[in-house]
Amino acid sequence: MSEPRLGMPHLGFGVGLRTPHLAYIRRHLPPVGFFEIISENFLDARGGRRHALTEIAERYPVVLHGVSLSVGSTDPLDLGYLRRLKRLADEVRAPWVSDHVCWTGVLGLNTHDLLPLPFTEETLAHVVRRVRVVQDVLERPLVLENPSSYVEFRASTLTEWEFLGRMAEEADCGLLLDVNNVHVSAFNHDFDPVRYLRELPHERVVQMHLAGHTHYGTHIVDTHDAPVAEPVWELYRLAAELTGGVSTLLERDDKLPPFPELLAELDRARERSPAPVGSGAHD
Amino acid sequence: MTDTASLDAVQRWMQSVILRPTGEDPGHTITASSRQSARERLMVHQQGYRLRLLECMRSLHPGSAQLLGREIFDGFALDYLDAHPSRSPVLAGLSAGFAGHLARTRPDAAPGAEREGWIDLLIDLIRCERAFTDVLDAPGTEDGTSPVPPLRLLRVCAPVHAYLAAVHRGEDPEPPPPRPVRLALTRRNFTVVTRELSPAAYERLCAASPPAPISEESP
Repeated sequence: MSEPRLGMPHLGFGVGLRTPHLAYIRRHLPPVGFFEIISENFLDARGGRRHALTEIAERYPVVLHGVSLSVGSTDPLDLGYLRRLKRLADEVRAPWVSDHVCWTGVLGLNTHDLLPLPFTEETLAHVVRRVRVVQDVLERPLVLENPSSYVEFRASTLTEWEFLGRMAEEADCGLLLDVNNVHVSAFNHDFDPVRYLRELPHERVVQMHLAGHTHYGTHIVDTHDAPVAEPVWELYRLAAELTGGVSTLLERDDKLPPFPELLAELDRARERSPAPVGSGAHD
Repeated sequence: MTDTASLDAVQRWMQSVILRPTGEDPGHTITASSRQSARERLMVHQQGYRLRLLECMRSLHPGSAQLLGREIFDGFALDYLDAHPSRSPVLAGLSAGFAGHLARTRPDAAPGAEREGWIDLLIDLIRCERAFTDVLDAPGTEDGTSPVPPLRLLRVCAPVHAYLAAVHRGEDPEPPPPRPVRLALTRRNFTVVTRELSPAAYERLCAASPPAPISEESP
C-alpha cells in the first residue's frame, strides 16, 4: 500500500491557467490553491506569456499538464520533448507532471488528439515500461489521467478501471482522476461510473479534474466549454469521499467566463470535498 | 515481430483512418455502443481531429481567416494539414509550412495561367502572421533570455502588417492595395512592434543581422 497521493501535497482547489486570465490573476492574486498549465503551451514560449507564468509560479504552486507525451504510442518516447518538459517543470518547481493514458500519434506524427488505447495485457506492459522511463527522466512523479473516450476496441480484455489501477500499481505512478471524463466515457460506453470510482486504487489518486461537456444525445464530448454538469458534481462528491480529498482543478478551455465566475464554481468543489490540511499557496 | 505488434497495428490503422477517412467499416477493430455504430464512434475522432487543428490554424492566422472568410480559409488550411500533418508536440508551430505550401501549390501555378495578386497578398499575410508569432514567443531582452530583442525582416507585396493590426483591433479592414513593403518585426515590453522600413534601412538591417529563419521556410 503506497502513501496517500504518493506523498504529494494536497494543494487545495485550483484553476487551469489560460492566457486571457493572466492579467486578472497578476492584478488580483485570487484565492486559488494552485494553477495548472498546459505544458506544451509554454515549452517554447519565451515572451510575455512565459514571463507571466514565472511571476505566477513565484506566488502559487504550479503543476504541469501535458497533451503530447503519448505514453501509449508504439513510437519511441521523444526524449527531447521529455528533457524540455523537465526543464519547464524545474523552472516552475512543479511537484508533479501529468498527462493522459492515451497515444497521440505514430510514425512520427502527432494528431493532437488524445486517442484511446485497447485495454490489453500487451498495452499494459508497454505503458508501464514507458511510465517508468518517463519518471526517471522527469525525476518527479508522473500522474496519468483517464481521458474521455469515444470508441472501444474489440481487442480489450480489461476494463478501463482495471487497466488504470494495475498501471498505477505496476508503474508506481499517480492517477489524475478526471471526474467529467468518467461521466463522459460511462455514457459513451454504457458502464457504471460509480463502480468505476469505487474500484480505482484511491490512494494513487493525486489530483482530480472537473470540467464541462457537450451532450449530443447519442454521445457526450469532453469540450471544456461549459460549467460542470450536475451528474459530475455527484460523482465528484463520491470521488472526494473515496480519496479523502485531493488537489482538485477546474478546467475551462473554451467560452472562458470572467475569472471570478470560475472562482465561484471552484467554491462548489470546496463544498463537496474534505478540507485540505494546510494551504497550497506559497507563504 | 515485437511485443507490441498488435498494439502497433491498431495504432497505425486508427491514425490512417483519422488522417484520411475511408468508407471502410471499422467494425473489425471498434465496437458499437448501444446508441452509435462503430463507424459513428470513429467519426467523433475523425471530425474532432480536423476541428481542433482548424481552430488552431484560425487562431494563428486571424488576418488570413478574415481576408478569405472562414470557409475558404478552412479549405486552404485543410489542404495544408493533409499534406503536412503535425510532427511537433507543440501546436504553436502548426502553420510553420503554410506559406511555403501555398507558394508551391498556388491555384494560379498552372502553365499559362495568369498570376493572381490576391494569392501573393495571402501568402505574404501568412508570412507576416508567422513572423508575429515567432517574435511574440522568442527569447528577448525583457527578462534577460537574450542579449538582443527578437527581429524578423520581411519583404512583402502590400502593407499586410497594417491589415493584420486592424484585425487584431477587431476591425474589418479592406484588403491592402499592392505596393512593395519592407518590414521589421521586433518586441518591446513583451509587445510585438512592427515598423515599415525604407529600402536602405532594410538593407542595412539585413547586412547587420542576417535574417533569422522565419518558420515559414522550414515546413
